[in-house]
Amino acid sequence: MQNKPYKPKLLWLQSITCNGNTHSFLNHPDLFSILENFELIHHPTLDSEYTMADVLSKNVPCDILILEGSVIENGFKKAGVEVSSLIHAYAGKAKHIISVGTCATFGGIFKQNNPEEISGLCFDLEEKTQHYEKYASKLISLPGCPVHPRWLSFVLLMLAKNKSIDIDSLHRPKELYGYTVHNGCTRNEYFEWKIDTKNFGHKEGCLFYEQGCQGPYTRGSCNKILWNDTSSKTRVGTPCFGCTEPNFPQQSLFTTKTNMGIPAKIPLGISKRAYLTLTGVTKSFKIKRFSKDLLEYD
Amino acid sequence: MKKLQIKQLIEKIEGEAELDFTFNDGKIEDVKINFGFYRGIEEILRGKTARDALVITPRVCGICNHAHLIAAVRAIEDGYANAGENITLTSKAKDIREFTLICELIQNHIKWLYMTMLPQLESYLDKKSGENYAIKATYLASRITKALAIFAGQWPHSSYAVPGGVTCDPTYVDVMQAQSLVDECIKFFERVVVGLSLDDYLAIDSVSSLHKVDGDFGKLLHLIGDNGMSTIGQSYDKFIVFGDSILSNAGKSIVTNISNVDVKYVSESSQEGSVAKAVTYKNKLFEVGPLARGMVAKTPIVKSLHKNYKDSLLSRVFARVHEVALLLAHSKKLLAKLQLDELSCTLDPHSKLDDFEGVGIVEAARGSLIHKTTVKNGLITNYDIITPTQWNLSHGNETQQGIAIKAMVNSTTIEEATFIFRTFDICSVCTTQ
Repeated sequence: MQNKPYKPKLLWLQSITCNGNTHSFLNHPDLFSILENFELIHHPTLDSEYTMADVLSKNVPCDILILEGSVIENGFKKAGVEVSSLIHAYAGKAKHIISVGTCATFGGIFKQNNPEEISGLCFDLEEKTQHYEKYASKLISLPGCPVHPRWLSFVLLMLAKNKSIDIDSLHRPKELYGYTVHNGCTRNEYFEWKIDTKNFGHKEGCLFYEQGCQGPYTRGSCNKILWNDTSSKTRVGTPCFGCTEPNFPQQSLFTTKTNMGIPAKIPLGISKRAYLTLTGVTKSFKIKRFSKDLLEYD
Repeated sequence: MKKLQIKQLIEKIEGEAELDFTFNDGKIEDVKINFGFYRGIEEILRGKTARDALVITPRVCGICNHAHLIAAVRAIEDGYANAGENITLTSKAKDIREFTLICELIQNHIKWLYMTMLPQLESYLDKKSGENYAIKATYLASRITKALAIFAGQWPHSSYAVPGGVTCDPTYVDVMQAQSLVDECIKFFERVVVGLSLDDYLAIDSVSSLHKVDGDFGKLLHLIGDNGMSTIGQSYDKFIVFGDSILSNAGKSIVTNISNVDVKYVSESSQEGSVAKAVTYKNKLFEVGPLARGMVAKTPIVKSLHKNYKDSLLSRVFARVHEVALLLAHSKKLLAKLQLDELSCTLDPHSKLDDFEGVGIVEAARGSLIHKTTVKNGLITNYDIITPTQWNLSHGNETQQGIAIKAMVNSTTIEEATFIFRTFDICSVCTTQ
């Protein structure tokens, strides 16, 4: 008898979550061909090998742990079992841990109701948690609220093919988070010439100056690998809220904080002096094309 | 009389629930429904600016996040109106919001049909077909959420609806792409879900022509009917709808009598031993959701089912899948009439209103969703979210057991009772928030 190739055993575990990462991944158009590479031990909604009761016994196999949701050490039980004890049982056993979403990675939105006790598994905002050292060698972070389905599939397929994934200091894959959300935004020309959108609901203009867009300093390839294979927040005129960042969500998300009329937080890695100089230069030009609507170019 | 307590963990719903059954002489006498973790979204919102609710509240729920967005934006707009600043949306903004909300309902109902109802019923009846139903669910769901994302940027967790309208400014290229995705979903519904053309399916108006339904939905109806399950799962036959939508106007239905409702009579109370709050209307329990909408709207086929089977599992299951057909047909009409030359957002960006109270109501997949916001000095001082599942899954009040509990009482097996439970389309994250 021919031996079947070994399929890594995949366990998707939910902690404090809205299930948004689960549903985001279900949108993946190639979902089942991706999952074909794995043995699905347990998943919140998809048919799987073992029941939740089996998972609670802490005895099911697990090569790859996908963790969705933020973590509290005490006080969240499933059928009498502390969820954190499940996480540690399987995180210890797994060869790879993928924290999907900003909650599992940094603590995310639900951390705000109990900042002292709720965090990500290995990071509490940007700080390493007590568990970091234990899991660091096998951790891959996929922040985003929710995680992008294609980002997760990239990591899963790389692991299935035994390829190494280059990661940054927060364990995010460089291929996915080396970009800012600003890269590939269809409003880039308006950013270059410092032209803000007049109000919500226009194709024209940049959202960075007044509407609170965090795209220029938020890591993530949302405008390279589009959402639902079709669009992104900024493409439909919604500001980027920085949902992949450790400090998501911040306050006043639809308003840009400014200093002397200039966005208080400037694009990633750019010195204030360089930004101010460039702004002064670009603003001194009036480009006629940008005073018109995109579809009125005759 | 022999009393017996059995605990059961329910999984493969939205999150998990623990049911605590009390059997008396072989029949279920009472059920305690327990959910997981209280995340405190309402507390998280306090002290944030009014519009931050458009980003925070969708994170209540991964499957009905868009309904939370729409409820949140309506609450702000209602607050503006109450403070004397009326916001008139363009028909374009209204139609786009309605379209994207419809897309979310469709994905929800289809996932429930294929990922909950069919596999769970086959497993309960020990008639496993081994079919990969999830691939069908995700085929349709990922296409309809893509149509949604053309306008809203992404699903889940878009925040594209803002006071005064929507942030998008679509072109005909966008609309054509959405139309073709809707057409693909209609084809799928016709060929795979019901085995009938959408028109022929929608012409079915009484139980006597139900046999025409083929496809996977026909299979589900047969499994229910052939196994004597058509009349089980009845509750109090009292329904309520708070939001106007294409599916129904607001109203309540008590033994087929329809009357008006006012959201001011809704009250929440905490429940002992539960992280979820119970909710009542004038201290009475009501069922919300697709069956409620069908009853209040007097949808012919739903009324006919109700005449024969009351508010049973069969009526409840049918009403939900039936909404998919109604919504697909309506979504096509919405796209066809979009007035792209109108403004997307009518609210002056410099208009500033710092003190208001407003209520936003939306018909979400599982029923009426209510958001109430109180804003002082630009910051949220109180935010109240009442989700559909709080109506259906509460423990009840002093005199009556909760809606879903009543539907499970008198069942003789845990397997049957948990299947009845699942027909309510359970979402633990919405119930506990």
